[in-house]
Amino acid sequence: MIGSAADIAQQIARGTRSATAVLAQCKALIEARDPDLNCFTAKTFQRAEREAAAIDDSYAEGKPLPPLAGVPYAVKNLFDVEGMVTLAGAKINAGNSPAAADATIVARMRRAGAVLVGALNMEELAYGFLTENHHYGVTRNPHDRTRGAGGSSGGSAAAVGAGMLPITLGSDTSGSIRVPASLCGVFGLKPTYGRLPRSGAYPFVNSFDHVGPFANSVAGLALSYDAMQGPDPADPACAQRDVEPAGMALSLPRGIRIGILGGWFHEWADTAARRSVQLAAAALGANERAEFKSAEVARAAAYIITGAEGGALHRPRLIEQYADFGPASRSRLVAGGLIPASWVIQAQRVRQHAYAEAMGLFERFDLLIAAAAPAVAPRVGQETLLINGRSIPTKAGLGVLTQPISCIGLPVCTVPVWPGEGDSPAEQALPVGVQLIGAPWREGLCLAAARTLEQAGIATVKLTGSDGLGR
Amino acid sequence: MRAALALQGYAFDDAEIAEIVMQFSRLEAIARTVFDYPLPFASEPAPVFRP
Repeated sequence: MIGSAADIAQQIARGTRSATAVLAQCKALIEARDPDLNCFTAKTFQRAEREAAAIDDSYAEGKPLPPLAGVPYAVKNLFDVEGMVTLAGAKINAGNSPAAADATIVARMRRAGAVLVGALNMEELAYGFLTENHHYGVTRNPHDRTRGAGGSSGGSAAAVGAGMLPITLGSDTSGSIRVPASLCGVFGLKPTYGRLPRSGAYPFVNSFDHVGPFANSVAGLALSYDAMQGPDPADPACAQRDVEPAGMALSLPRGIRIGILGGWFHEWADTAARRSVQLAAAALGANERAEFKSAEVARAAAYIITGAEGGALHRPRLIEQYADFGPASRSRLVAGGLIPASWVIQAQRVRQHAYAEAMGLFERFDLLIAAAAPAVAPRVGQETLLINGRSIPTKAGLGVLTQPISCIGLPVCTVPVWPGEGDSPAEQALPVGVQLIGAPWREGLCLAAARTLEQAGIATVKLTGSDGLGR
Repeated sequence: MRAALALQGYAFDDAEIAEIVMQFSRLEAIARTVFDYPLPFASEPAPVFRP
């Protein structure tokens, strides 16, 4: 398993390892493990070798090294990478021209010294919580290859969960960082809406699109988050705030008030998901219930806005190239494009109402916690989830606990918890993540709580099975 | 459904329309919560434009 980003950067800064040696280890891990999991859609090893050599040259010349010097990472294939076609998981993009420049956050990772090794598989056009991609294949779960990695950033989560990389980047419109992080047992950060710039990231739903990192440690999450912050006039939704570093203060302040979300978040969490929340709550000393009454209607509002914006965005090519879209995407996108304007406006009014209710909750609590997925990873091809006796379609249902939160743009750190619950030994070995939800712009608090759980041994990234890959 | 699709510039066969109808029904079932949600008359939509 590759080390943590902080350890790798420290080893390179001290000269005990070279960036080239770290890259060689990373490449070997990818070549050994990716064929079974299908995380990568492209590898950028030539670029990686240039970037690693430049770090080693800087060290040899005695220059100060940036914070992620020599740390390998990869990106969901919806981020522009100079010289590569940005697929966004879709065949319709395969014939596009290569990107002329890196996406803003990829350029910022490069400036922070990170070494890009490739692009990662995802759900087609980021529409869905699985990564069972009709064109580029299924990304499998590193802890059980009969199960999926979740999505839409499935390749990003599985690559970290399989120990190939310490950091990856993904996007989250309705849960696409938090759900796969939960299913693959890794850390994931969905920052406040507007915190990180999206320029050079293939869009899906402008109202909800967020970008953020996955990592095998909280420090890695914080280091990459800090490296990617800052204003960007090219993204009109970017809040244009100055960098507010989180990596320097990863300890939880005394007297923090933490609420355990009940109601919708309890009803749609199965035994394993509830156990994960219990473990996290106990370690954080949380015992008070909180109720976000608008959760169900916020999820429904997000569903409407997502359908309408996604359908409108892709309408021209749905008309011209319908057969080139995957069967699971195209009819949903067309149906979304037919949503009446009155529904969308009502949904945006509901969204504002839900946001106001959540702000009221943050007068009583500093942090809210809930499961990040209703259950452990489903089997590949599983059509429905059965949650506390209620059936829900897997593709949409995996986001039932994340969608109400991204609808109102709150920052969330998802942490990997291993509840040890399930109907079979296979299920008992799987993780269910926990969402640590903050008020807007309080990513630092979410990360500090994650660090507390990591130090307590409750939130951990681990390889499973005799081969470290769930076998 | 055929008229709505034509208005958007789509032309599909019966099987494709049946699939779209099924997807729209799913959307409508979830959206029902939103239509019926009681809001104050003057409540505004979430802002999506920052001049």
